[in-house]
Formats: sequence, C-alpha cells, structure tokens
Amino acid sequence: MRRSLERHWYAYAMVAPVVVVLAVLVLYPLVQGIWFTLTDINESTIANPVLDRPASYSFVGLRNYLNVLSGDSSFGSFWSTLLRTIIWTASCVVLTYGVGLGLALLLNRPMRARALYRVLLILPWAVPVFISAFAWKFMFNSQFGVINQLLGAVGLGQPVWLGQTDLALVAVVIVNVWVGVPFMMLALLGGLQSIPADLYEAAEVDGATPWQRFRDITLPGLRSVSSTVVLLGIIWTFNMFPVIYLVTGPAANPNTRILVTYAFERFFSGASRDYAVASTYGVLILSVLLVFATFYRRALRRQEAFA
Amino acid sequence: MRRTALVIAGALLLTACGGGGGSAADSGKVVFWDTSGPNEHPVFDQLAKDCAGKGGYTVDVQQVSFDQALANYKTAAQGGQGPDVLRSEVAWVAQLAQNGLITDLTDTDLAKDTSDFLDGPLGSTKYNGKTYAVPQVTDTLALLYNKKLLADAGVQPPTSWDELKADAPKLGGPKAIFLNNDAYYALPFIYGAGGDLLDVANKKIVVNSAQNVQALETAKGLLDAKAATTALDQANSYNNMKAAFSAGQVAMEIDGPWTVVDLLKGDAFKDPANLGVALLPGKDSGPVGGHDYVVRQGTKAKTSAQKFIQCMSSTESQVTVSKKLGLLPTRKSAYDSPDVKSQPTVAAFEPAIKQTHPRPWVPAGAQLFDQLKIDYAYVLSGQKDAKTALDEVAKAYKDQVVPDYTVG
Repeated sequence: MRRSLERHWYAYAMVAPVVVVLAVLVLYPLVQGIWFTLTDINESTIANPVLDRPASYSFVGLRNYLNVLSGDSSFGSFWSTLLRTIIWTASCVVLTYGVGLGLALLLNRPMRARALYRVLLILPWAVPVFISAFAWKFMFNSQFGVINQLLGAVGLGQPVWLGQTDLALVAVVIVNVWVGVPFMMLALLGGLQSIPADLYEAAEVDGATPWQRFRDITLPGLRSVSSTVVLLGIIWTFNMFPVIYLVTGPAANPNTRILVTYAFERFFSGASRDYAVASTYGVLILSVLLVFATFYRRALRRQEAFA
Repeated sequence: MRRTALVIAGALLLTACGGGGGSAADSGKVVFWDTSGPNEHPVFDQLAKDCAGKGGYTVDVQQVSFDQALANYKTAAQGGQGPDVLRSEVAWVAQLAQNGLITDLTDTDLAKDTSDFLDGPLGSTKYNGKTYAVPQVTDTLALLYNKKLLADAGVQPPTSWDELKADAPKLGGPKAIFLNNDAYYALPFIYGAGGDLLDVANKKIVVNSAQNVQALETAKGLLDAKAATTALDQANSYNNMKAAFSAGQVAMEIDGPWTVVDLLKGDAFKDPANLGVALLPGKDSGPVGGHDYVVRQGTKAKTSAQKFIQCMSSTESQVTVSKKLGLLPTRKSAYDSPDVKSQPTVAAFEPAIKQTHPRPWVPAGAQLFDQLKIDYAYVLSGQKDAKTALDEVAKAYKDQVVPDYTVG
C-alpha cells in the first residue's frame, strides 16, 4: 500500500480534482437526497440558518416509500402517474422519431431551396421552450384559441383541450412533439448523410425496390444514431417538465401529471412543501430510469451481436 | 432526481452564504416585492419611491408574479435571500410566520396603533398572539354586472341563485353569468350555503359537509340549467371570464375590486358607469381577501423596512391607492376621505366588505385550495359528483394539510 502510494502519487494527484468535483456536485446531493427520503423533512422542520433554528426532522424509515408506493391519491397516485408517464414518454418518442425520420428523408434528397426548408424546420428548436409553450397554451384556449376557431369554421366540434380530461395529455404531447422534432430530424439527417451512396447504387442495380432499400440499407445504417437519440429522447421526455408545467399551468392538472411534475408540486407549489415525499419521487424516478437504461443497453448489445 | 438534488445543493449553498446578518447596521436599501398586476404596479411603484424619498432610504421595487411569489419568497428567504418587504396575500402570513420566514413585528411601532384598521384584514396579521404584518388592502368577491344588459332584459341583480336561474332565459341563458372554476370562487357558494372548509375551534375538517355538497350542486345546477357558463380549462379560466365579461358577452361575473381597472378597458365598459357591483347571493358569502406587508426574517434593512411600511400603509398612501385604482383601504380613517368616498369602485364594494365571511388564519390557510381547485373543476365539468369530490378534498386535507384535525 505504502509503496504503491509512493510510486503512483502523481496519478492520484491528477485524478483528485475530478474525484472532488464529482463528490461535491454529484455524490453529496445524491446521498443527501436519498437520506431525505428516509426522514419527515419539510418546510417547518428544515434547519433555518437565518433564525439559527436547528433542523428538527427525524428518521422515519421507509414510511415515505410505503406511502408513495401504496398508490394513494394523497401521495400522487404513484402507479397511475407512472403509467401516465410511460404513455407520455412512449407516444412522444414514437411520434418525434417517426416525424423526424420522415422529414430527414425528405430533406436528404436533392431539391430546390433545401437550405431554406432546413432552417424553417429547425425553427421550433430555436424558440425558447417557454415561448412555444405559452403560444400553444393560447392556441389551445377552448373559447378564444385559434385551434378551436379553425375547427369551428369547418364545422367540427370544439373540445376543451386543456380541461381536466385525457385530452389535455394529447395536447401536451402535440406541443412536445412540435418542440422535439427538430432535434430528431437533425440527428437523423446527419445519420442519413453518413450512409455511403454507392450502397444505394449497388442495390438499385440489383433491382431492389425503394422499400427494400429503406429497410435493408437506411435503417441498419441509422442504427447507431437511432439508438442514441431514442435513449436520449426517452430520458428527456420522461423528465420533461417545462412543457407540461407551462401549458397546463401551475394549477397542476391531474390529467397531465407525470412523476417529475408531481415531485415539483410537492417540493415547491404543493400543499406542504414536503421535501421528503418530493425526494422519494426523485429517487424512484432515478431508479426507474436506471433499470430502463440497463435493459435498453443490454438489448442493443444483443441486437448488435446478431447483426 | 437530478433536479431535486441540484435544488437541494443550491439551497445548501445559499444557506452557507446567507448566514450571519442579524443585528448589523441598517443598510438603508429596501427591496420590495410587489405582487400586484401590471395595471396596479405603476401606482405602488411611484408610491414606494415617494416614500423612500421622504424617509431617506432607497427602495428597489420588483414586480413578482402573484402566482409565483409565495414559492419564490420561501425559497429565497429560507436561504437568507429575497426582498426586505413582501406584499403577502392575507392567507400566507400565518404560514410564513410558522416557518420563521418573516419578522415578528409585535414590539415595533408598526404594531402599536392598530385601532384604525378594519377587523377583517387586521385578523390576518396575527399568528399565535403576535403581530407579523400590516394590512395593505382588503378585498372580497362581489357580483359584478353589466347594467345595460340587465336593464335591457328588465331584471335586477339576483339576490339568490334561484332568482338568477329564473332570470337567466331573459339574459340569453348561459350568457347570464360566467363562473370561474377556481377554488377561491367556490367560496361564495360554500359560505352562502352556511358551509366552511375547516372548523378551527374544534380542529375539524368540514369541507365535505352536507352544506358544501349542496353548495357545489348549486353551482353545477346553474350550468345544467343553462343559466351560467364556465371555461373548463383551468389555466385559461380566469382570463376567459374577464375577457367575456369586459367584451359584453356575459352579463355577470363574480370578481373582486382588483379587476375593475382591467375591466374598464373592455368594450362593454367604455362608460364606467355601466359596471354594476352587487352583493353576492346568500348571506355573508364573500371571503376576506387582500394583502399585507411583511418583513423578511434576517433583513439587513430592519429600520428602513419599518419606515417604508409605515409610509406605505399610512392613511394618505391608502387614499392615493384608492383614488387611482379603486382598491379598498384597510384603515377606517381612509374611508372618511372625500376622495375615497367619491371613488366609484370603493363606494360600490363597501357594502360587500361589511358582509364577509372570516377565513381561518392558520398556517395551512393558503394550502386549502390546491385540492379543492382540482375537485371543484371536476364537479363543474360533470366528471364527479359533489359528494365524491369533496370527500376526496377532505382526505387530502387530512393526509397533507392538517393531519392533526379530524374529519367530521
């Protein structure tokens, strides 16, 4: 031990800053967050340095987890909220990927004014999310919004988009897809352009139909890009807070509540600033994503082995 | 998780920097968070600057959105940051006092002469027998109506909800009244039916009482009878109500004095005399609302902050605010001023302010609306019946808001 320290002190000194930074920025808050889930910490029991009031929260064991995992409505109906989060994530990622791929294919072929289309299609990405969200909120207004006015003009029904019904979830999915498509499109376009053109030429010479070319050249060629953007998309969407919060308002519509918005509700705007329950949600979200990422990577590796 | 962890880390950093302070010398610089709307803000801003000029300290007035103010203030004050003076909604005071985020003003000049203040707003400044705030404005809800539309239809402002139902066909059915599906706007129905949210004296949750069930059924009944309209999207509801009323699309709405400045900009009220204010149906059915001044715990401008509040809440200042914005003063002496007496909004709301229902000034007071808001919207949209919805609210109160109360 002593000898190894003498021999490798330089290496230890070199990694020390990274270890310190990681410990301060990642590990400490993480451990603290996990510790909070085992206590009854809230606004009135947290330490108050201004008042010199010491912390008065106490250890409660797994009570928070039991409360949350019971699925009780007073603790955010965990299981139905989880289900809604999964539906929200899946529909957003499938739609953004699908639309993004379609647009990327369109943009990948030679055409006039391609640069112009590309700029226009990237625009939603350049607009700050909160501006998009507020614009959509105005458009979805059931009485004065432009969407319902258009629907009314062509003689269709005028639904209450942002009411306390599942239609609100459809509305926020639409907004999120609009916000998310440019990134997908750009990433996939990059992937498409890296596929060598001679593969297509060879396939054409062999008499492959467009569908066969798409299935056997384009999709495999995009695999590495796709797997990355889908994983990113899933993690981002799972934790996508601003779109839901800004479109359906701080009033917390229970029909668009996902895990992270509920954690925020409990932490900041909700009834009791319950840091313990909010942290519990945080830990549960982290666990869900960790489990998912593990399986996803394993599935990818298996796929690559077969390919 | 990462968000939570970062916030916690951030809070810790803030706490680390924010310690100390205490009884240091007065900094002479008052930061004031004004939560009033865009039309009201310039008047308060000017008033604050005048006060600072006279008092020999500087003031930095920051407009903070009312929706976000409580959360932002709590986060900042917990770490020793934030404004020196906050315009706090009356229901926030007890909660902030309990959490040690505002200064006890009992031994200061601000708490000495309070006999001039109206009892309703004054009640909100006390917590556990100590004084934590100074009343700024008071308000309540009243029935606002379009005089011309009612006159054309040949009806008087209703004194009961049944009367409204009977008159509605003459006013164009659902165009008679716009109901906002927000919790605060359910209170007139609840108080009017003799109900309440909490029975503080007996530590009981009474939100799911028979009277309250009946109250929400009355509100829903108006919609069913095509005597009222509502916006079912919560996020747009209040603005849609104001837009419809100020454009003359609906004849009545339930709202407070703070909204009058905005309404007068609408087409229907180009002639301000067209705006009528009547008492709400039901006895004593308006909730006590309004705002107080509070001083942040750990402020570095303690003396200046007190001088500032003294000046802002003086009779003279209240008269100015009333004259310009039609907000209701909290000082009895302000009502003697001819400027206030002749102010049409104040004159119109004065009867309403005398018939309000007291609200429980408990730390949980501000939190009672979170669940009620959701379930009231469910009732009005017909997704849940009143009993089921209110039982849910009662359960949420028991689990999250007042766990030491019994459901009764």
